Amino acid sequence: MSTILKTFLSMSFSGGLLILTLLLGKRFLKDKISRQWQYYIWLLVILRLLLPFSPEISLMGKAYQAVDQAITRAAPPTRQENPLAGPEGAHVSSVGPEQGEESANLPAQNLTAAPPRQDIGAWLTDHIWLIWPAAALGLLIRKITIYQGFVRYIHAGMVPVSDVDMLDRLSAAAERAGVRAPVELCVNPLVSSPLLIGFFHPCIVLPGADIPETDFQYIALHELTHYRRRDMFYKWLAQITVCLHWFNPLVHLMNREITSACEFSCDEAVLAKMGHDHAQDYGQTLLDAMAAVGKYRENPGAVTLSENKRLLKERLSAIMNFRKKSTATRCLTGALTLCVVFCAVFVGVYPASAADASDPANAEKPLPVQSGHSPAAEESPAMETLDVNGKTFFLVHNEAQLRAIGTGEYGMDRNYMQQADIRLSTDEWAPIGTWDAPFTGTFNGNGFEIIGLTMTDPDAEIVGLFGVAKNAHIYNVTMRDYDIAGAGGNIQGKSVGAVLAIGQGSRSYDNFVYPKETGEDITQDQTTGAPLSEAARYYEADSLPLFQIAFSRLDGTAQGEWLEKLYAGDDFAFFSVAVRILDGDDPLIAAFAERAYGDGEIAFFSTLTDCMDKADLERWLDRALEDGKWSFQSMLFNKLDRNDEFDELEEQREKEWEAAQRAEYQAAGVTMDGKNYYYQGQLVNIFLDVRKGGSFYVLDMNPKGTVNVRITRSADDKITGAACMTDAEAASLLGDMEAPEGEARDKGWDSPDEAWDNSEIVSVPVGIEKVKDGEYVWLGTYTLNEGDRVCYNVSAESGEQLDVGFAKPGQTSPEVRYYMVSCRRTDGKLEVRTETMMWKSPVDPGEYRLFLHTEGGALAHVSGSVTIIKAAQNSQ
Amino acid sequence: MPQQISDAELEIMKIVWGSQSEVTLFPYIMDALAARGKPCQKNTLIVLLSRLVHKGFLSARKIGRRNEYTALVSESEYQTAQTKHFLAKIYEGSAKGLVSNLILDDLLSDEEYEELKSLLKKGSEES
Repeated sequence: MSTILKTFLSMSFSGGLLILTLLLGKRFLKDKISRQWQYYIWLLVILRLLLPFSPEISLMGKAYQAVDQAITRAAPPTRQENPLAGPEGAHVSSVGPEQGEESANLPAQNLTAAPPRQDIGAWLTDHIWLIWPAAALGLLIRKITIYQGFVRYIHAGMVPVSDVDMLDRLSAAAERAGVRAPVELCVNPLVSSPLLIGFFHPCIVLPGADIPETDFQYIALHELTHYRRRDMFYKWLAQITVCLHWFNPLVHLMNREITSACEFSCDEAVLAKMGHDHAQDYGQTLLDAMAAVGKYRENPGAVTLSENKRLLKERLSAIMNFRKKSTATRCLTGALTLCVVFCAVFVGVYPASAADASDPANAEKPLPVQSGHSPAAEESPAMETLDVNGKTFFLVHNEAQLRAIGTGEYGMDRNYMQQADIRLSTDEWAPIGTWDAPFTGTFNGNGFEIIGLTMTDPDAEIVGLFGVAKNAHIYNVTMRDYDIAGAGGNIQGKSVGAVLAIGQGSRSYDNFVYPKETGEDITQDQTTGAPLSEAARYYEADSLPLFQIAFSRLDGTAQGEWLEKLYAGDDFAFFSVAVRILDGDDPLIAAFAERAYGDGEIAFFSTLTDCMDKADLERWLDRALEDGKWSFQSMLFNKLDRNDEFDELEEQREKEWEAAQRAEYQAAGVTMDGKNYYYQGQLVNIFLDVRKGGSFYVLDMNPKGTVNVRITRSADDKITGAACMTDAEAASLLGDMEAPEGEARDKGWDSPDEAWDNSEIVSVPVGIEKVKDGEYVWLGTYTLNEGDRVCYNVSAESGEQLDVGFAKPGQTSPEVRYYMVSCRRTDGKLEVRTETMMWKSPVDPGEYRLFLHTEGGALAHVSGSVTIIKAAQNSQ
Repeated sequence: MPQQISDAELEIMKIVWGSQSEVTLFPYIMDALAARGKPCQKNTLIVLLSRLVHKGFLSARKIGRRNEYTALVSESEYQTAQTKHFLAKIYEGSAKGLVSNLILDDLLSDEEYEELKSLLKKGSEES
């Protein structure tokens, strides 16, 4: 049964008790106390019926506990055959009194979990309570439509009164009644007696205009008094209460009482204004009005002058007996009020707080629950029960209860739910469940901790909180500071598992374990422990934002440890979110910046610089300049918004680098003249310089050249010399670039040599120091025809992404890019290296511009070449 | 202008039409009613004014606690409509019947009669 319904039923019941008390009291005190009081005291009952608030100790709380336990005893839980319902049930246990909370707390997986087949019956009983809100809603809608229909009916035949005298009299009455709002006066022959409609724009509707002056005065005063006291709101509140408590006959009775008390108190108020002399006339007016009653059925929302004859009689006698109240009566009234308020409060409602407080999702860190109403003594092994979705859970609050699992009433096949952090004594722990009697039920740790489980017996074969479990569900268990390392020392092939040692077909999940660390102060560990575990949990769950939050709660030492772990684990994403919440002057920033700088971890370093101020950045830049750390300089210049300086520096460096390169080649016997290479006085056809690991190489092809040269390098990347390539070498080099599909051969190429002879090769050397993020660098315009081939071989030293391709001329940021190859940095290398690609339809022949492009960070030191092999003319 | 208004409401409209300024204030109407010998209570006037607003004769603008009323229907518009209504109701739309009735029963003074004649002449010349 739903907690909401339970709460509501208890509200209805306690409200009912209150109604009974008041009705009984009324019998004796009817004429002694002010009618006003008799009217407004019901407001208190309505509040009791509508507000689910209750003090710690209440009558209903006690009553329901007793009932709950009786039910549990009478019907032993028989749902073990359906262990799947375990986690769902456990989650639902954490439902608060409001429905909104329920859906917010339910993890998503529960929504997808379909109710198991055999549980349709249970599902029905679980949801049958929905009839209650449905009926309440239906009733309310019906009441509203009836009222609307009534108002329409009144409005339809309504004629405004244009008699100024009558309106003036109404004005006088309004002033007398203390009504500020303008009051409209209408006549509708269809109404049986005068009535007032409208919540904010009051309108008195009379059955006819020919009413004697005094009568009109009484009627107006009566109706306006209703309006001033906002009786229609009160009535509607009562109607809503009736709708919600439709199943409670006492509430219907209360509604009738309110209706009559409303008229009584209104009469009283009118007579108090007019004076007692008018009582007889007023009574006469009531009688006259009564004469025509009955033309329209009783209406829920309007306040009429008189509603039925039985009531009228009573009203008349009350009117005739009207007198001012004495001081004694006032005292009595005061005492009675206090008494009823007291009753209303302490009759209370069903304490949903029991389930509420144990809700792990509600509390940041679950706190041990010391429920005031708990009948279980602190260390008693007797367990309370809680029904969740038709499953009965035994609630485990303390060590005695935990140890009692598997004994007596608390069988191995029951469902258990932890309700508080439990700190175990150092007494030897006996694992729950053995080979003979395995644990087969459900244990929900509920996010609470089990602290200090100790097992030291060197002869223990099975070590853990749970020993042997079969088809059991063990989840949400958090174990901290357990000490089981010494257990089972003498046994070969012992079974050890902090939570569960041997689980045959059992499901054990969402559990967290933190063994005791020797030499560490337990209490201190605990204070930092909880958030640390949280961070670990989110780290495991790969949840960056939650990890960031958890990380922010850690103290400096723990944060340091985490950063260390992330840095060592090269976990850049987590590292960057963690660093982001640190202060700029946090020593951790400086420490890790130092390390990242030393290790050349530019990505980590870059993240750290986000937290630094300008002075820090400038200091680092000076250092990077001094150390000649190119990429760090680039990044820092960028951070400091001094890219111009960097470009200048770069240009200078580029020149230096080129000069150095030139000098190196010269030493090896290769001279350079512009873009042409000469070796031993001969123009070089193919020039190849491969650096270590193929990371960076110069491949230059000049069809006019006559020799093929290759720079040889030693293992440490030093140029050792230059050598002529053999034809075979050159052929294999070029062969590498050709399409393996043999398209070339289809064209009638018999050998590479022939291909060279018949085709023109354009090699576009690439040597660009820097490509800005998002920039297109154009490398000339080329005519490409059907059958031409292109081959990219471009790499960049730093940067993340490199695109090489062609675009139609005249476009600075091309929309359509042809034969574009885009590569991201992999294995530390950023290079675009392709086989030869045939230029063919649907790409039209024509002029194209070659470009380099990058996105997501600037490139530095882009080098390599793009080769265009024109299709052989004679083969076409 | 399909709506009919009561005598009390017409009284108020006359005050609004007769007022010099574009907008008429509540106390002004109150005083004018008293001056015409038809005083009424505040609530009565409020109710009557709100009925006129509801019927589309007036527009009300609330500025702070001050209500400004503007006529949406001019006096002549109202008269024309009322006359039409009257003609339709009594003479079944025939203006001739009305005029002949006026003349036959000596309801017109001589000056009025002459004025009407000249008006008629002007009207026939123009058309």
